[in-house]
Amino acid sequence: MAISSETIAKLERDFAAIVGAAHVRAAIGAESRCASVVVTPADAGEISEIVRRCEADRIILAPFGAARALAEIRLAPAAIAVSLARLDRIVAYEPDDMTVVAAAGVTLAALNAATAARGQWLPVDPPRPELTTLGAMVAAARFGPSRLSEGIVRDLLIGVRFVGHDGRIVHGGGNVVKNVAGYDLMKVMTGSFGTLGIITETTFRVRPLPARRLIACAGFADLDSAYAAAANLHDAVPLLHLEVTSPSVSAALHIGAGFALIAGFGGAAPEADYLRVRIPELLGVNNEILDGAAAIARYERIRDFDLPASAAVALIAAPPAELPAILAATPGEFIAHAGSGVARLFLAALDADELGRIVAAIRDRARRVRGHVRVMRVASELRGEIRRFDNPPAAAMTLMRRMKTTFDPRGIFNPGCFVGGL
Amino acid sequence: MPTGAHASLDSATVAELRAILGDDAIVSRPTELKVYECDGWTIEKNAPELLLRPRSAAEISAVLKLLDRRAIAFVPRGAGTGLSGGCLPVGAPVMICTSRLNRILAIDYANRRVEVESGVVNLHVSNAVRGRGFFYAPDPSSQMACTIGGNIAENSGGPHTLKYGVTTNHVLGLEIVLPDGEIAELGGPTEERLGYDLVGAIVGAEGTAGIVTRATLRLTREPEARRTLLAIFADVEAATRAVSAIIASGVIPGAIEMMDQLIIEAVEAAFHAGLPRDAGAVLIIELDGIAAALDAEARAVGELARSSGAREVRFARDEAERATLWKARKRAFGAVGRLAPNYATQDGVVPRTRLPEILREIAQIARRHALRIGNVFHAGDGNIHPIVLYDERDPDETRRAIAAGREILRACVAMGGSLTGEHGIGVEKISEMPLIFSPDDLIVMSELRRVFDPAQRANPNKVIPAPGGCVEVAAPRRQAAL
Repeated sequence: MAISSETIAKLERDFAAIVGAAHVRAAIGAESRCASVVVTPADAGEISEIVRRCEADRIILAPFGAARALAEIRLAPAAIAVSLARLDRIVAYEPDDMTVVAAAGVTLAALNAATAARGQWLPVDPPRPELTTLGAMVAAARFGPSRLSEGIVRDLLIGVRFVGHDGRIVHGGGNVVKNVAGYDLMKVMTGSFGTLGIITETTFRVRPLPARRLIACAGFADLDSAYAAAANLHDAVPLLHLEVTSPSVSAALHIGAGFALIAGFGGAAPEADYLRVRIPELLGVNNEILDGAAAIARYERIRDFDLPASAAVALIAAPPAELPAILAATPGEFIAHAGSGVARLFLAALDADELGRIVAAIRDRARRVRGHVRVMRVASELRGEIRRFDNPPAAAMTLMRRMKTTFDPRGIFNPGCFVGGL
Repeated sequence: MPTGAHASLDSATVAELRAILGDDAIVSRPTELKVYECDGWTIEKNAPELLLRPRSAAEISAVLKLLDRRAIAFVPRGAGTGLSGGCLPVGAPVMICTSRLNRILAIDYANRRVEVESGVVNLHVSNAVRGRGFFYAPDPSSQMACTIGGNIAENSGGPHTLKYGVTTNHVLGLEIVLPDGEIAELGGPTEERLGYDLVGAIVGAEGTAGIVTRATLRLTREPEARRTLLAIFADVEAATRAVSAIIASGVIPGAIEMMDQLIIEAVEAAFHAGLPRDAGAVLIIELDGIAAALDAEARAVGELARSSGAREVRFARDEAERATLWKARKRAFGAVGRLAPNYATQDGVVPRTRLPEILREIAQIARRHALRIGNVFHAGDGNIHPIVLYDERDPDETRRAIAAGREILRACVAMGGSLTGEHGIGVEKISEMPLIFSPDDLIVMSELRRVFDPAQRANPNKVIPAPGGCVEVAAPRRQAAL
């Protein structure tokens, strides 16, 4: 959808009237996949005006933080991107209550730098926290290895503020860790990919940082034995995270040349000391235990792991015990969060037809065990060819369509790149 | 508002319902219906005109299709143990009880999942899997009676949710019969959602989205070991200081529960649990995890309690002593029944650091209204349960009890807290919703509700106050015990 330069100039003028000329510019680099014009409002009030203007003139907008999640998913650029970059304040951190309120443009790394001083963190650990804004993390339901022990965004988000239809500034939840007052708008916004409104502020529970972090690694000749060892370990002891990797991923992480098991563990001294002895016994094969700085470095490499040259990256979700069979039948390299039944699959460069066939085959296998596949990233030349989401069952899809039209009756919020084309 | 468009129940509809369900699934005698006039929120009562006890989602679907055609509103009910009037009929003549949907359908240990019908009793889930070293984590005090469907409606918690989370953290998938009779399968056995998190929107919707008939729940591994401590304090202030000290140390206990003097006395009079009657407050602290690490952790926590002012710390020596402590805690509500003919349990939440303040405020409110108020609650997450004692035969005292409850909620909100941690808004707190939500928030929430229930026939007049008026206007038949 090419937009004429005249239209762009008009958009720039219109939105400059709301946010000031200094905060409107043409999109550059990866941003241009998201939108033509980038508008950077100062606060929720300005976003509210932007939304009203977009609804009045049917201008498609897309919210973004660092323009990464959006650049990966949009098929065609929106007219304007609403950048949350200036909403970058940690509003209230209450270490004794273990809660934090932060604007959506704050990066996860900045948040965790602030809480680390008090021995706490927000234990959602998607790749590249320095590039992940809280708004994008919630909207794209991003996660990392610690989902096994700490849960995911939906388990930790206790309050949300967003700008929705008619420029309404809406909040759900609150600042307390246990709260069932009103409908759960946090769940509604989590994983909604910007299709229901623009998240401006988030409130999270934070948790104690593990006093010690250790990692056990072991290599295996085949996937089944790696997975059997992982299941055995998961059953026997509490772990911080648990991954199984395919040979190329293992090699890139310097853990041998075969399939690998990576188990994070730790906690306070007596627990860490006990597990330091117990886990090698349970693994019973050649294994390596990392402690201190080496463990932290390995944890961060696992968290941030990527094969950037992949033609596509897919997320497979299945009941945990069914995942290895799907992975075994699938070409490509993977890192599986073994306890959670979730794997990131990296597919090498292929033509569109072959990629389509492979994704269809994985979807079919996943569906048979009531799982699903999300294509997280596709090389731009293949983007139009691949459906990003499975289709939810018909009755669920009907409700999702109603959800979209209820929250976004004018269809301006990041349309066209979510389930069922929403 | 569509609420006004609800029709009343006529004899032709009753006859059709009999044809769908059979006579044994229908209760229509006023004397029998009186049992269903309230839940655990006993201040307001209103029996349904008809109670239905269907056996399956298919039967519920047929019933709701009929009610939809006739524009008749309904209220779902589990075991009726709710504490906020969530299943009190307010402008809904038909009550639909899920108690016959009571089968555990599949236990999948390899994937740590269990699939149950919504009428299954909470504790029965844990009982079914304990032999294999698993449990279902949310453990409301009513867990011997309350149903999974009711837990889903209210997003129920319990003592151990401090560490393990509340109902919404453990529900992966649902089957729901929508108010138009359509059966929808939402979520599933995976930990990643496909599309919008409809399951997350329905859990805690207080039965306003339809009738949940089946759920896929997460099972949690039993910890290898537990250590349960009883810390005894001269006053509640010292006890709350201990709570803050423990959490600040980086330990997340399985549970930290507080009981004040009035509750201790009630529990001792009822069960002789061995609590010190002269104490101002006690904490039950439970730690769980790896056996090898727990003794050191328990000692450290005991020291923190002592340095915060505990005059004594007792360690449960065996499972029997642990069970006695938990019995005392979980039956505290029942024990209070001996102190007064009636009681109302509040469910406010404050940031944990504000606990000393809110407890002082509650004591003042009690004095001001010449009422007795006991406190037994989940101290670890700031979720208080003041129990206001009253006698419903005394209209003035009843009025004061209601007023005191409202003042406590206002105080919680003023301290940055919430109206309800785990009991739900129901009818009890509906007029307080504007204290924490703006008109725009409430508009968007009622729009969300209409995604599932466009005509607002499922449990009408709950959660969101009607614009410009209180609930009583919409529900002339509802009687408060005033």
